[in-house]
Amino acid sequence: MFKNVSKLIRGEGLSDAQFGVLLVLPALSILATIILYPLLNSVILGFFDASLLSGREGWVGIQQFVELLQSPRFHETLINTVIFVGGATLLSFVLGFALALVLNQNLRGRGFLRGSFILPWITPGVVASFLWMWIFHQHYGVVNSVLSQLGIIDGPIAWLSSSGWAMVSVIIAKSWKSFPWFMVLLLAGLQTIPDQEIEAARIDGAGKIQIFRYIIIPHIRFIIFVVTLLGAIWNFQHFQIIWIMTEGGPAHTTTTLAIEVYQTAFQAWDLGKAGAIGLIWMVILTIFILVYLRLSGGVEDVSA
Amino acid sequence: MFQLDSLTSKIVLYSTLVLMVLFAFFPIYWMAITSFKSSGEVIQSPPTFYPHNFTLEHYITAITDQNLLTYLKNSLIVAGLTSLLSVIISSYAAYSFSKYRYSGRKSLMGLVLSAQLFPKAVLLITLYLMMQRLGLIDTYPALILSFTTFTLPLTTWMLKSYFDEIPKEVLESAYIDGASRLQMLHQIALPLTMPGLIATALFAFIRGWNDFIFALTLTSSDAMRTLPPGLTLSYLGQFESSWAGMMAASLITSIPVIVLFILLQRYLIKGLMAGAVD
Repeated sequence: MFKNVSKLIRGEGLSDAQFGVLLVLPALSILATIILYPLLNSVILGFFDASLLSGREGWVGIQQFVELLQSPRFHETLINTVIFVGGATLLSFVLGFALALVLNQNLRGRGFLRGSFILPWITPGVVASFLWMWIFHQHYGVVNSVLSQLGIIDGPIAWLSSSGWAMVSVIIAKSWKSFPWFMVLLLAGLQTIPDQEIEAARIDGAGKIQIFRYIIIPHIRFIIFVVTLLGAIWNFQHFQIIWIMTEGGPAHTTTTLAIEVYQTAFQAWDLGKAGAIGLIWMVILTIFILVYLRLSGGVEDVSA
Repeated sequence: MFQLDSLTSKIVLYSTLVLMVLFAFFPIYWMAITSFKSSGEVIQSPPTFYPHNFTLEHYITAITDQNLLTYLKNSLIVAGLTSLLSVIISSYAAYSFSKYRYSGRKSLMGLVLSAQLFPKAVLLITLYLMMQRLGLIDTYPALILSFTTFTLPLTTWMLKSYFDEIPKEVLESAYIDGASRLQMLHQIALPLTMPGLIATALFAFIRGWNDFIFALTLTSSDAMRTLPPGLTLSYLGQFESSWAGMMAASLITSIPVIVLFILLQRYLIKGLMAGAVD
């Protein structure tokens, strides 16, 4: 018996394909236990009345979904999510792309600059949140101080506690943390463009904007697409910066899906409703992922 | 790419660079100088742009704060063990994805890649119930297991790209010399990818170090908290925060990952593509 087990572990008597599967099994069983099962179970809870205290109770069918889809509060959450994901993805893309174009030039110290610009991205989220809270502080923050000295504002803006500005603040903080990621990948894309092509276009009399439009963009269209989509997916599930800076407030104005699920599950203890939100979320996310897998040409080439 | 010929393009180029330098580094500069200001100077209006009364008192307070040291210890243990566990398990899976061919392989790879895109908050609903049932709330195993949900896909994907770089001939010649398949992995493939293994482990460590939502939810006592939830609960829980102390603690929290990152520069792109993000 034991002899057989050790033989099996060493993979003797197995075909190569069987041995390959054997090697994947440990990782797969862990993923199944801590990702697939929890994911399925969480969304299935959406059909039950369930709380953290009493556990799963009665089957309620689609009642919780109907309630959610009819609730104005949930509509606000969806709109907030779109604003946050759209705003933070767009801003970090624009900043990252502008910087990538600059750093693709023959500047002195380019390697050093590229390395240094990674700093915001590696700063732990808790630190990024703290420092932007401090910068946006209503009374002692440097932003209000500079803006009022320049005469742009009359009185201090309550960045984190007024609706509208709170969303602007969290989008800026998140974009500060993620623009380097866009920069590095877009720069890698820009560096694959052969110099000869640009040179040839220039000789043919193409201007800078034409070169940008007809050579650079088509060349890196794919990487632009992948980077934007992945960035949007990460922002979609982003929790930390919003939670630390505003806790979804004031008055629910920065509550995204991630914040809503967390509050519903771990502050209101309503696991059923949280699961229902989770299922709606997964439906939206699945569309994103399918598009991503489709357009990344099968998974094989993604890491190349 | 563009010729730096005209004055206009130079102006556009350098002003973009200057603005981006300001945006990227001013917050970090501001954090650093705030941490060296006296408590009175911190709330001075208008603020000072360098510390007039330089002091280390906030650092002394931070490193003598028993709670902060506990968070630091917990973060090291949890991020370290998570990283170790995921590298060990994922090196087998990654090797299999890279060197063996079987049906369902591509779907499995897609599944592993997609796994890190699933919302953590949704996973957490059931993970919490599981840990509660197993009596693991507020323990290291709960944190390590839950962190593995986001490190395992990352490490599998990164390691696969390293195994892809090992030429088939190297393994074939070992096979001819009579090595078993497991020996080929342990004695040839793994040593060859050692730098990649270390880089992968460090990326996993950084992600574990930075996690917030799992550690916030699955711990309930100060004794088990890691740095991100620990700092958040201790500095934002008070009525009026000590901003200078907060900035000093922030800087201390950032230093380990910044040091690791400087070491990891040349592995960056692989890590980024595998999802070492957020």
